Amino acid sequence: MAWWWRWPTQLVMEVLHSSLPNKNAFKALIAAEYSGVKIEVVKGFQFGVSNKEPNFIKMNPIGKIPVLETPDGPVFESNSIARYVSRLMADNPLHGSSLIEYAQIEQWMDFATTEIDPYIGRWLYPRMGFFPYNAQRALSALNAHLATKTFLVGHRVTLADIVMGCNLYYGFIWIMTRNFTSEFPHVERYFWTVVNQPNFRKVIGDVKQADLIPPIPSKKAAVQPKEAKKEASKEEPKPKAVEVEEEEVPKPKPKNPLDLLSPSKMILDEWKRLYSNTKTNFREVAIKGFWDMYDPEGYSLWFCNYKYNDENTVSFVTLNKVSGFLQRMDLARKYAFGKMLVIGSEPPYKVKGLWLFRGKEIPGFVIDECYDMELYQWSKVDITDEAQKERVNAMIEDQEPFEGEALLDAKCFK
Amino acid sequence: MAFVLHTGLPNKNAFKALIAAAYSGVEIEVVKNFQMGVSNKTPEFIKMNPIGKVPVLETPDGPVFESNAIARYVTRVKADNPLYGSSLIEYAQIEQWIDFSTTEIDANLRRWLGPRLGFEPYNAQTEDVIIGSLKRGLDALNIHLASRTYLVGDTVTLADIVMGCNLYWGFTRSMTKSFTSEFPHVERYFWTIVNQPNFLKILGDVKQAESVLPIASKKPTAQPKESSKPKEILKPKEAKKKKLRKKSQSPR
Repeated sequence: MAWWWRWPTQLVMEVLHSSLPNKNAFKALIAAEYSGVKIEVVKGFQFGVSNKEPNFIKMNPIGKIPVLETPDGPVFESNSIARYVSRLMADNPLHGSSLIEYAQIEQWMDFATTEIDPYIGRWLYPRMGFFPYNAQRALSALNAHLATKTFLVGHRVTLADIVMGCNLYYGFIWIMTRNFTSEFPHVERYFWTVVNQPNFRKVIGDVKQADLIPPIPSKKAAVQPKEAKKEASKEEPKPKAVEVEEEEVPKPKPKNPLDLLSPSKMILDEWKRLYSNTKTNFREVAIKGFWDMYDPEGYSLWFCNYKYNDENTVSFVTLNKVSGFLQRMDLARKYAFGKMLVIGSEPPYKVKGLWLFRGKEIPGFVIDECYDMELYQWSKVDITDEAQKERVNAMIEDQEPFEGEALLDAKCFK
Repeated sequence: MAFVLHTGLPNKNAFKALIAAAYSGVEIEVVKNFQMGVSNKTPEFIKMNPIGKVPVLETPDGPVFESNAIARYVTRVKADNPLYGSSLIEYAQIEQWIDFSTTEIDANLRRWLGPRLGFEPYNAQTEDVIIGSLKRGLDALNIHLASRTYLVGDTVTLADIVMGCNLYWGFTRSMTKSFTSEFPHVERYFWTIVNQPNFLKILGDVKQAESVLPIASKKPTAQPKESSKPKEILKPKEAKKKKLRKKSQSPR
C-alpha cells in the first residue's frame, strides 16, 4: 500500500456553498487555483432558498453566502474563506515572503473591503455627491499606490490582489464605465492585468467593462440586469446583482450649462492662485486683487447662513458638517470659490459663509445636487453697498474677531 | 523593536492594536500630540497611508495601515500567539469573526453614526434600513454567543479584540440599554470582554450610551424632532477641546 493511499483527495475535499457567479465565491475559487486546493461547489444551490435552510443557518447564523464546509467545520466571510484556502498550502506565496509583506497583503485586503467594496455596493445613495466622492477618494489612493507597482505587494499575485480584483470586478462590470475609471489609469491597468491572469480567467472568464451606468430600476421590477446575464451566463440568480439593483444609480450628466455662458474676464483659477499664494499684506494684495478681477457680469457673490445654528452644540460635529459640505461641493470646483467660518468660542457655534459662483445666480446643478444648500439661507451680495463689501473682505481674510466673535475655524473651498 | 502608532486618541481602531499588543507583550509607542485633520494630512503621513486615515503603525520594516491588518501584524510579532488560536480551523474561525465584525457590525454602525457625527447627510428611511442590517448582524452574533463565552475557543482571541473594539464604539455612542437588551448574549459578552484586565488598561471604564447621538445636520422635514442638547457621553472629550481653531476631529 503506497503511503499516499491513505489520503484520497475525496476525503479532504472542501465544499463551497454558493450560487455562481458571485465575486465573493470567486475569491476562494481563485485562491484555490493558485494554491492547488480542490474545492467542489455545491450543485443546484438556490439563492434565497438554500441559504435559508436550517442546515445552512447552522453553518452561518446570518445566512449569507459563501460558506466553505471544511473537514473540520464550516467557515464563512469570503475573505476568511480565501485566507483559509491559502493556508492549506504551506508557505503559500500568496501570503508573501515576510512578516511585513504579510501585513501589507492584509492591509490591502482590508482596504479593498472597507474603502472599495462598500462604495461600489451602494454607489450613490439617494443623497448625491457623498458616496461617489468616497469612491473617488479610495480609488485615487489606490491609484497612487499602484503608480509604481504591478501588483499590490511584491512582484507577484498575492491574496490581496485576489480580494481587490474580485471587489473591483463588480464595479467594473456594472457601474464604473471607462469614462469614470480613466481618471485612475493605474487602477485600470492593474485591474486588467489581474483579471487576465490565467487563474483568474479560469474562474471568472472574460470580463467586459460597463458601457453605461444602469438606469434607476423601478423598485418593484427586481430581476437581474441583462448585462450581468451576458457577462457570465451560468445558471442561478445573482444575489449581488439584485442587491445592486435596489440601489439608486445616477443618470449620465448632460453638459454643464455654465460652460455655455459668455466668457468672463475673470479667471477663477487666477483668483484661487492669488488667494493661496498671498502670505503677507493680504488686504493690499489678495483682497485688492480680488476686486480688480471681479466681474459682476460673469460671477456673483453670496452670503450664506446656517439655518440650524442652535444645533451646533458640539465643536467637532459642527466642523465635520462644514467639511462634509465642502466635500460635496466638489462638483462645483470649476465654478465656485467659498469661505466658511465657524464662529464663536463656545457652543452653539454659528456657521456663516461667502461663495463666489459662476453666473448671476446660484447654479441650478449645485442646488439640485448638493444636499447642504437648503440647510443655509442664501442672500446675494450687493456690491454697491460698502458695508456688504467689507463683510466680503472680512470673510475672505478670516478676520478675527468676526462680527465681534472669535473664530473656531475657517475653511476654504478653492 | 520599536513600533510607533500614529493616531489621535481615543480611537477604537487604535485600541485594537494597543489591546493586541498588551496581550502579546509588544511595546507600542503612540505619537505625542497627534492632531486629527492636521497630522494626518502631512505629506509624510500620506506617504505612509495614501488615503490619510488613522491609525498607521510604523514598523522597522515600513508602515502598515488598516486597523485590522495592524492588529494582525502585532499579533504575529509574537510567535505562536494564542490570540490566533491553536489550529488551522481555529485560525479560520478567528478570521471569520474579525471579518464579520467589520462587515456586519462596524460597517452598519459607521453608516448609522456617520450622519450623527456630521460625516454624511441624514436620511430617515436609509437609517431604518441600516439599523435593520445592524440588528441582523447582532442577532446572528447573539445566536453564536448563546453557548459561548468567547467567539472562538475558551480564551480571548484576536477576534474578541476586534469585535470588542467595534462593539465598544456602538455601546458608547448609540446602542442604548433598550437597544441591546434584545441581544442578551451580546451584552453579556461585551461586558465580559471590556472587563478583561488588558482591555481595561486601554479602554478604561466603559459606560453604555444613555441616548443615541443626535443628528448633526437636520433637514427641515425628514426626521422626528429630538432634543439636540449635547449628550453626557460627549462631555468629557469636549472639555479637552477648548483650544480655538481646532481642526476637524472625530472621536472614532
